[in-house]
Amino acid sequence: MTEAGFVTKTMWLAAKDLRIELRARDTLAPMLGFAATVALVLAFALPEASSGNVGVVAYVQAGFMWVTVLFAGLIGFGRTFEVERAEGALDSLLLVPVDRSALFVSKALSNLAFIVVLEMVLLPLSALLFAYDLGGSWGALVAVVALVDLGFVAVGTLYAALAAQTRSRELLLPLLALPALVPVFIAALELTADLLLGAGFDAVAARGWFGILVAFDVVFVTAGVLLFDAVLD
Amino acid sequence: MIVVEGLRVRFGRTVALDGIELCLEEGITGLFGPNGSGKSTLLRAVAGLVSPSQGSITFEGAPVAPSQEAWRRLVGYAGHESGLYPNLTVSENLELFGRLYGSDSERPASLLSQLGLEGRSGTQAGELSAGLKRRAAVARALVGEPRLLLLDEPYANLDDDSAALVSEALVAWREPGRSALVATHGAKKLKAFADAGVILRRGRVVTQGRYRDPSHRRRPFHETAAP
Repeated sequence: MTEAGFVTKTMWLAAKDLRIELRARDTLAPMLGFAATVALVLAFALPEASSGNVGVVAYVQAGFMWVTVLFAGLIGFGRTFEVERAEGALDSLLLVPVDRSALFVSKALSNLAFIVVLEMVLLPLSALLFAYDLGGSWGALVAVVALVDLGFVAVGTLYAALAAQTRSRELLLPLLALPALVPVFIAALELTADLLLGAGFDAVAARGWFGILVAFDVVFVTAGVLLFDAVLD
Repeated sequence: MIVVEGLRVRFGRTVALDGIELCLEEGITGLFGPNGSGKSTLLRAVAGLVSPSQGSITFEGAPVAPSQEAWRRLVGYAGHESGLYPNLTVSENLELFGRLYGSDSERPASLLSQLGLEGRSGTQAGELSAGLKRRAAVARALVGEPRLLLLDEPYANLDDDSAALVSEALVAWREPGRSALVATHGAKKLKAFADAGVILRRGRVVTQGRYRDPSHRRRPFHETAAP
């Protein structure tokens, strides 16, 4: 049998993580439970929109959604390497003949899948509870969400690997990741609020926050690919 | 094949390996010694899972480079833990690692049969007994047909019949150009077919050498060793 290439091995590793999650259900379940509970509680805290506070409500709605994604995502990222720790599989994984950046990409892909599932539940739920009025801007929202997810997952996966090497990993992951994620989530909040206030994709893409989001994604995806080997060592 | 020179590994104030000098030739070498003598740390250091604080490890004259795929392709390692994914079946575990190593697609099934695990191929690794898990771990280490095999206590939790299966798998794996370092307290089981032995104590090599004659294997290793 000829040895597979980078992409194939990456897909095998990501598929392994997804298969394990389908059987164990110990990552998505707490993420979804947390997100649904927070969304429900926050729905009661949201002020009603009136002519005078539409802008404020749009920001609060966007803030609620992204704060929920942020903390639910961190719950998931915290479990990124638990599957490797259970029976010492991390040693086996570190010794397989695959470029270490493939390990990063595979872990990031499986984390991305978890975040996308979370958002597929949370976005419709939030739209229902918070009465989102996006008009024809759903496509633009999906583009913004995709950019946020990319940066979020890159940072979360990289810092999860770093935290996994320590005893106090549950504490260390949020301590490391939260400060790094501030720009992503401010950009997410600003752009989503714009969309809720009726801006289209062109208007959103012209904002500086959009550029920051793209730059953040490029920097952290590149850093993850290049630094993952050093982080695991 | 593997030459270890002046290897020193520290964990904080604890010196786990204290200037190990070792020459590992082809064949199966037993690694013996009491608890805490540094056997597991030596295996991990040779695999590249632990960075030495001093000294060097070379393979066929070139420094061991754990960061390089080419080096990792040569190594099969099974540590204290099984290294298996508990939520994947035994078969899925072996197939995954077999594919990653580019092994023949029939290799996992052949190893399952060799180690008496055919009936457990569909069982999730987390549901296996300790002994079955140990055999599956040995199968996982062998699935990539490594040139350098590093096993830590492969006979732990095994009854005599199971231990015999592991021994047979090791003998079947042994070929010219392949080396194994097997740490065990089951010295009698390993000496029955090992080519050489090393005894560690307090992080140092007490004695090492090859068995001169198969009939000597039944005697304590240090009596037949040629340091």
